[in-house]
Amino acid sequence: VTVTNLPIWIVDVAGSAAMIVLSLMCLHLALKLKRVDQSNVIWTYLAWVCYALCLFAFSRGAGHILKQVMIMAGKVNIWEAIRPLSGSINTLSFIVVSSVTLFFHRTWIIYRDIQNDKLALKSLSDELFFLNRHLEHLVTERTKEVAVSERKYRRIFEASRDLILVAGKDGAILELNPEGYAMLRLKSMESLKDKNFRSFFSDEKDWERIEKLLEQDGFVTNMELELKRSDGSRLGSLVSGSFGGGLPGKEETIHFLVKDIEQRKLMEKQMAQADKLASIGQLSAGIAHEINNPLGVILGYTQLLIRNEKTETDRYNDLRTIEKHVKNCKSIVEDLLNFARSSKPEIKTTRINEAADDVLNFVLHHSKADGIDIVRNYDEKVPPMMLDEKKIRQVLVNLLMNAVHAVGKKGIIRLSTEYIKQDNSIAITVADTGYGIEKKNLARIFDPFFTTKPTGEGTGLGLSVSYGIVKSHGGEILVESEPGKGARFTVVLPVIST
Amino acid sequence: MVKSPAMKQIDNKSIKLLFVFLPVLFFPGQAGATQVHGGIEGVVVHQMAHIVFILAMALLIYWLRQHELVIQAGWRRIQYASVFFILWNINAFFVHLIEEQVDILDIAQIGPWQLRLQTQPAFEWSAWFYYMIKLDHLLCVPAMIYLYLGLKNLIETPALELQSGKKEET
Repeated sequence: VTVTNLPIWIVDVAGSAAMIVLSLMCLHLALKLKRVDQSNVIWTYLAWVCYALCLFAFSRGAGHILKQVMIMAGKVNIWEAIRPLSGSINTLSFIVVSSVTLFFHRTWIIYRDIQNDKLALKSLSDELFFLNRHLEHLVTERTKEVAVSERKYRRIFEASRDLILVAGKDGAILELNPEGYAMLRLKSMESLKDKNFRSFFSDEKDWERIEKLLEQDGFVTNMELELKRSDGSRLGSLVSGSFGGGLPGKEETIHFLVKDIEQRKLMEKQMAQADKLASIGQLSAGIAHEINNPLGVILGYTQLLIRNEKTETDRYNDLRTIEKHVKNCKSIVEDLLNFARSSKPEIKTTRINEAADDVLNFVLHHSKADGIDIVRNYDEKVPPMMLDEKKIRQVLVNLLMNAVHAVGKKGIIRLSTEYIKQDNSIAITVADTGYGIEKKNLARIFDPFFTTKPTGEGTGLGLSVSYGIVKSHGGEILVESEPGKGARFTVVLPVIST
Repeated sequence: MVKSPAMKQIDNKSIKLLFVFLPVLFFPGQAGATQVHGGIEGVVVHQMAHIVFILAMALLIYWLRQHELVIQAGWRRIQYASVFFILWNINAFFVHLIEEQVDILDIAQIGPWQLRLQTQPAFEWSAWFYYMIKLDHLLCVPAMIYLYLGLKNLIETPALELQSGKKEET
C-alpha cells in the first residue's frame, strides 16, 4: 500500500519538539524541588530521572527533526551517519532512567528513615529546649512536691499512735517514731546507734521466727508477741513487718509496725473476770436461797427452845451456841446474796463525802489504828446521789477494814472522793501503804471465799460483796497494787441525781 | 643473591606463561582478542534497553502503590506518566521489531510525503499496525505531560507527607 507520510511527519516533528520542551520544563521543576530541600534524596532521584529524560528527548527529538529535514533535503546519507550516535544516546538514556528508578524503593526507605530521625531529633531538641528554659522552674516545682510528700509521710510517721520502726536486716534500729520511743520507754533523744530491735523481744526466738517468715514470704502480719521495754517491763503487741525495698546501693531495710495490745488484753482479762464472777454469783445465789430457809427454821426452833429453857443450864448454853452459829451462817448467806445482787437495793439520797467520813471514823474507832496516818481528801463538787447508802457504807467498811489490816501498825491510809465531770461519775479511792497484793492474787481477790488472812480472821466475802454492790449500782471497782508498796481501790459510781 | 623458595616458584610460573603467550604475539588474528560489534547487535541492545525501561516503570508503579504515595496527586500523576512510558516503550519495541528485525513489511519512502508499505502474504495487517505505531509521540508526549504535572504538584505541596507512606521495616 502507498500511504501519506504527513500525519507521521507532523506527529514526529511536533512530538519531538514537545518532548524537548517538556523535558526541559520537567528538569526545571525537578531542580527547583531540589533547591528547596538540598538534602532530600527523593528530589535528587527525580532530578536524575529528568536529566536522563532530557538527554533522551534531546537526542531523539533533535535526531528525528534532523532526520525529517535531511530526508526532505535529500541528504539521507548525513542522517545515516548521525543515526547510530542518536540511537546509542537513546539507549544510554533508557538505561540511566531504568537504573535510577531501580533504586527508588531503597531511596524512599532512606528518605523515610532520615525524616523519622529528623522528627525524633526535632522532638528531642524541642524537649531539651523546653527543659533548658524551664529547668529551674521544674526543679522548684518538683522539690516542692517532694517536700509536701515528705512532710505528709513524716507526719504519718510522727503522729502515728503505733510504733513504726525501720531496721536493717540484722535488726539494727535505723529509725523510730516518737510513739515507738514511748512504747519502748526510751528517752526521746536517746541514740539508736547501738539499739537492735532483736533485743526488745521477750523471747529471742520470736526474732528468729520473724526473720524466717520474712525470708520465706517477704512479710509478717499481726504476730502476737511480747516485747520487753528498756525498763524491763513487758508489753503485749501485734507485730507486722515487711521488706522496705532498699534504694540502689543501700542496704535493704525492714519496716515494722507494732500495735500496743496491752489495753485490749487487760480488757479481755477484765471481761473474763466479770464473766467468772457473774457465774459464781449465780451459783452462790442459788445455794444461798436454798440454805436460807432451813437456817431460818433452825434459828426459829432454837430460839423457841431457848425461851422455855432455864438460864445457866448446860442445855441453855448449847442452844445459845447453836443460835450464834446459825446467825453466822445467815450472815454469810446474806453476804452471798449481796454479792449475787439478788437483794433489792433501798435507794435514797446520799451524800457520799459524809457517808465516807462516817465510815472512816467508825472503822478507826473500832480498830487499833493509833500508828496509822489518815489523809482525807473530799471533793466538794461531789453531788448528792441516789444510792443504797447502807450498802455503799458496807463497801467502804470492807475497803477500809482491808486497808487497816494491810497497813498493820504503821502506815498511811488515804480516803478521797472526786467528781469526774466528763463521765458524770464519782470516784471514791481508798489507798494504803500496806504490803499490797501479789500479782498472782490480783485476778482472784473478788472471788467469794478467797482470802489471804489466816483461817478464822476473814470469810473472804468482803471484796466479793463490795464488787456485787458496786455492780448493782452500775459502777465498777478498780484495783492497782504493787507488792510491798500498798494497794489502791477505786470505786467509780455513776451520778444519779435526786 | 640468595633467593627464597617462594621467589623461585614465581620465576618458574612466569617462564611457563611466557611460553603460552608467545604464539599469540606472532598470530594476533587467531587469538580473537576483541569482539567485533556489527550487524543487528546495536538494535538488540536498544530493544533490551526498552524492556529494562518497561520493567523499571512497572517497578516504580508497584513501589508508589506499595508506599501508598499515590494518595498524593503529584505521585499519582507520576504513576500515570509511568503507565504511558510503558505503553510507549512497547510501541517503540514493535516499531524497531518491524523496521529492523522481522521481514514481514517492506517500507519505502516514495517522494517527500508518501510511503509505500509492502506486506508479506498473511501479514497484511502489519501495514496499518505499523502506520499506527509510527505515531509513538502520542504516547510519550502525554507521559512527559503527566511527569510535568506531577512535579508541579509536588512543588506546590509543602512537604512530602510521611504519613501517606506505609510504615514498613527497612
